[in-house]
Amino acid sequence: MATLIQQVINGLSLGSVYALIAVGYSLVYSILLFSNFAHGGFLVIGGYICYGTLRTFGTGIWMSGALALAGAGLAAVLTERLAYRPIRERTNVTLYLLIASMGMSIVIENIFVIVAGGRFRALPPVIPTAPVNLMGLATTSAFDLLSLVSAVVFLGALQLFLSKTRWGLAIRAAAYDLRTAGLMGVNVNLLISIVFFVAGALAAVGGIFLSVRYTLYPQLGAITIKAFVAAVIGGLGSLPGAVVGSLILGLAEMLTAGFISSQMRDLVVFSMLVITLLVKPTGLFGKSVSEKV
Amino acid sequence: MNGTGERNVLLEVKDLHVSYGAIRALSGVSLKVYEGEIVSVIGSNGAGKSTLMNAIMAMVRREKGDVFLGGAALEARSYKVVQQGVSLSPEGRKVFAPLTVLENLKMGAFPRGKDSKVDEDLEWVFSLFPRLKERIAQYAGTLSGGEQQMLAIGRALMARPKVLLLDEPSLGLAPIIIRDIFKELRRINNEGVTILLVEQNARQALLLSHRGYVLQTGHMVQEGPSEELLANADIKAAYLGGGKAPKGLS
Repeated sequence: MATLIQQVINGLSLGSVYALIAVGYSLVYSILLFSNFAHGGFLVIGGYICYGTLRTFGTGIWMSGALALAGAGLAAVLTERLAYRPIRERTNVTLYLLIASMGMSIVIENIFVIVAGGRFRALPPVIPTAPVNLMGLATTSAFDLLSLVSAVVFLGALQLFLSKTRWGLAIRAAAYDLRTAGLMGVNVNLLISIVFFVAGALAAVGGIFLSVRYTLYPQLGAITIKAFVAAVIGGLGSLPGAVVGSLILGLAEMLTAGFISSQMRDLVVFSMLVITLLVKPTGLFGKSVSEKV
Repeated sequence: MNGTGERNVLLEVKDLHVSYGAIRALSGVSLKVYEGEIVSVIGSNGAGKSTLMNAIMAMVRREKGDVFLGGAALEARSYKVVQQGVSLSPEGRKVFAPLTVLENLKMGAFPRGKDSKVDEDLEWVFSLFPRLKERIAQYAGTLSGGEQQMLAIGRALMARPKVLLLDEPSLGLAPIIIRDIFKELRRINNEGVTILLVEQNARQALLLSHRGYVLQTGHMVQEGPSEELLANADIKAAYLGGGKAPKGLS
């Protein structure tokens, strides 16, 4: 029983970090209708900014975290300006965007291989990882609880932004129909920049927690594949779907690790992807194709 | 009322050319809309009517020629065109299906920011289309076609345009609903909004408008007061169903 509770908490914690990544990825997908494979790069950029400022300037975690969020957000905006906008302005074919994003993903990864080196780095112990006893029921780490709480805070903030603000409304409208949103007097390029900034910043939060969990290295962004799977299971382009899919995935991974075998984790994850695509290709919350005209 | 009097030209399209790749959609189209007028552009499928609307809104590139609003050239970016005072109710309505009626209307007022008059205009739109008020919290995708058309027009009005553009407001609607909507269009015009509409439903459009233009494969082939166009034998034959209405209709 204690193991179960512990694994459920670990699963929710891991899932909530996936959710931070999946939500940004899904947000970009909902607006531009392509899978941004450079999304993992934003996460790595956030991780390295956090690591670098902690190490060289000795800033606190709050300062370093804020810098990481801002830096990854700006990097995402820059990526869109440099690599995607020139394509967007010439064609509606999203396949080119997909290919450009694969290119950008390789570029970002290799920048860090060259600049920071390929070795694994541990973040200074700024995030407590001490074990915590939950009312005698189970033992888990403070880190897991912290990442769960942070993810909830950031996802809550995103939800507030989308539902309560003028630009949030515009983003929801654009997610349904970008062209018509432009017709409403929305500066579409600015809107896309805002979306990339938000996606990059959320990825950085995920990046910081993942670097504590798995250490930091240039290929850490590859973990985004899990967030992609989560987004597909939840329904591409749907934000609640991305969150629910991520939690399911985190739980499945941790329960598999706890009760079957740690090596089976990825097998379970990708089986879930295959089953989703076979049974309900639009995912749990995906848009069905037929809309009333 | 005849709009060609001494009033000011509000919207002017001058020698507009638009192409899609090798296909020329508009070749040198010009038109004028005077302040307070309703002008209709009629033409069959593929004549370039929607392209004309999209080119005014800068949704497609204006290859050659200019569009002026009150003497100032309209910008080449859509959001700036809206800020300058032109808004469009697009063909096929294009309401934001997963947003509520209220959110759709707020989207229409997007460029106005925190303008305190937005709430007044919301009430104005609801007075024009009371059905929308009844369905204020409903998702736009669940509305009937006629209600969606009302929403699309209301949404465009929320930008407080100097000129309201309407692309096929009658498309796919039952005749009785078309009549309702066109009645409201007249009322909107009476309250000071200048209207330019393009329509395949030539009779309805000409009955509503003061002046009309006939667009044919990218060229303006005729223009004049709407009554004259309605009475014109060629136009009757081409666009109004062969001159005499079929029995039982009219």
